[in-house]
Amino acid sequence: MKMSMKGIAINTFKESARNKMFYLLVFFGILFALSSKLISFLTLGDAMKVLKDTGLAAVNFFCVLIAIFTGINLVYKEIEKKTIFNILSKPVSRDQFIIGKFLGLALTMLTALAAMAGIFFLFVWMSGGGFDLKIILYFFMLFLELLVIVAISLLFSSFTTPILSFIFTVSLYLIGHIMWTFNEFKTVLRVPFWKHFMQGLYYLLPNLDKFNIKNEVVLNTAFNPWTILFSVLYALAYILALLAVTILIFRRREFQ
Amino acid sequence: MIPGRLLAVIFMAGLLLAAGMQNRYDATVNYFGDRATFVSLPSGKALKTLSFGYSNLAADLLFIWSIQFYSATYLTNRFDFLERVYDTITDISPQYKEPYIIGSLIMVYEARDIPMALRLLDKGSRHNPDEWFFDQDAGYYCFKFLKDYPKAEFYYQRAAAKPGAPAFVKRWKAHLVYLNDDPGAAYRMWLEIYENAGDAMEKAAAFNHLYQIKSEIDTGLLEEKIARFRENFRRWPSSLVELIKARLVSALPSDFSGNDYIYDPEKGTVTAARIFRWKRR
Repeated sequence: MKMSMKGIAINTFKESARNKMFYLLVFFGILFALSSKLISFLTLGDAMKVLKDTGLAAVNFFCVLIAIFTGINLVYKEIEKKTIFNILSKPVSRDQFIIGKFLGLALTMLTALAAMAGIFFLFVWMSGGGFDLKIILYFFMLFLELLVIVAISLLFSSFTTPILSFIFTVSLYLIGHIMWTFNEFKTVLRVPFWKHFMQGLYYLLPNLDKFNIKNEVVLNTAFNPWTILFSVLYALAYILALLAVTILIFRRREFQ
Repeated sequence: MIPGRLLAVIFMAGLLLAAGMQNRYDATVNYFGDRATFVSLPSGKALKTLSFGYSNLAADLLFIWSIQFYSATYLTNRFDFLERVYDTITDISPQYKEPYIIGSLIMVYEARDIPMALRLLDKGSRHNPDEWFFDQDAGYYCFKFLKDYPKAEFYYQRAAAKPGAPAFVKRWKAHLVYLNDDPGAAYRMWLEIYENAGDAMEKAAAFNHLYQIKSEIDTGLLEEKIARFRENFRRWPSSLVELIKARLVSALPSDFSGNDYIYDPEKGTVTAARIFRWKRR
């Protein structure tokens, strides 16, 4: 990695880590994950299932919030505060700037996720759930999902305002979790054009539900290793595509 | 400017007044009085879509809510939505096992609707084909409440065939075959259980059942032969040996312990030394 890109990545990480919002979200993520114990008291039968469900959902939700809130602001802030001129006047290309930002955000997400996941993992163990290694696999898949979300928010952040970036990213996040309905919707369409259109959208939009393996983790059902492998490759390919289009847009942007 | 002390007094007085008002309000509301309620629930598919990847959590929360809701005995019409509620939960998370079990318990013991419970347990068995306890519960409800022994036998048969089904499921299956008036088949099943018993308790239970079934079969057969003897000789046989002499039986059977049956020459009846009462219908 070139020094300039590394420098941008580290600065991005430091900038995110200095943000009070980051700590607040991590704190609430941990708090909600631990409060899953209280919710599990209310159920009948397998309380550990409810504890894991609630805790994993809390970590997931707050990590997604961190990914969106940090992602939508970073590039926009550089442009708004005119610090982009300083950066680009140095021997740093626009491509390196975007990749550096992405890597910095990825490091931020890794730190936030590691803090929440580590505490929750220990919490499950202390609550009698044992060392459930499937949880680690779940957090790995969640990290891939977060990387895709970060790439999406970075894309929108490169050409629009934080509010619009937020709306677009959240919309894609929500749509990404109901992509299975597209396949069902396709079957009721009669006009071939709309069928192809839906098919196109199905492949174009991010399918985030494939990273959701909560069911397999909490119900202890078998994983299909191929499904996991294809999900990992899908994430890498989709992130590459998003970074490429972000760079293309950012290259054409004129700063005043 | 308002003095600080006055503000503190206003704060305390405000709080006291609010608490007093809350108390008066509570006196006007009968929180736990009988009342009807209305529940509106989207379909399981709609909730799954709207949960945006948090479907497990949605199922958990709905299940926890259902436990509280069905514990609220002051709601007079709470069973109106029972099947819908548990159908929704199990549509969102079909592999979540507790809602099938708890839902069917509520349907059976609270709502007294056995067919509804059987529908829910059938759904559980369909979505979790390797789990034996849905069929076991369904079989037990058929036995206990419907007295439908063929149906109970069907469920126990299905449960016993599943991997990991405990030994007691096979015992239940054999017992239901017996209740279903097929003592020959039940005897063979109990004999298999007896010969492969994992512990003394299981062996003793199988022994008792075998004793009961064998004596029922044997005494029935002997009494039939005694009746024929009476037809031929116009009297009861003085002992069971007379049945051999009269060539009505080739040998006398003994009970499962190897002891002779007790014959009453006054009445022409045959009984076993030990009498069990398994056949409770």
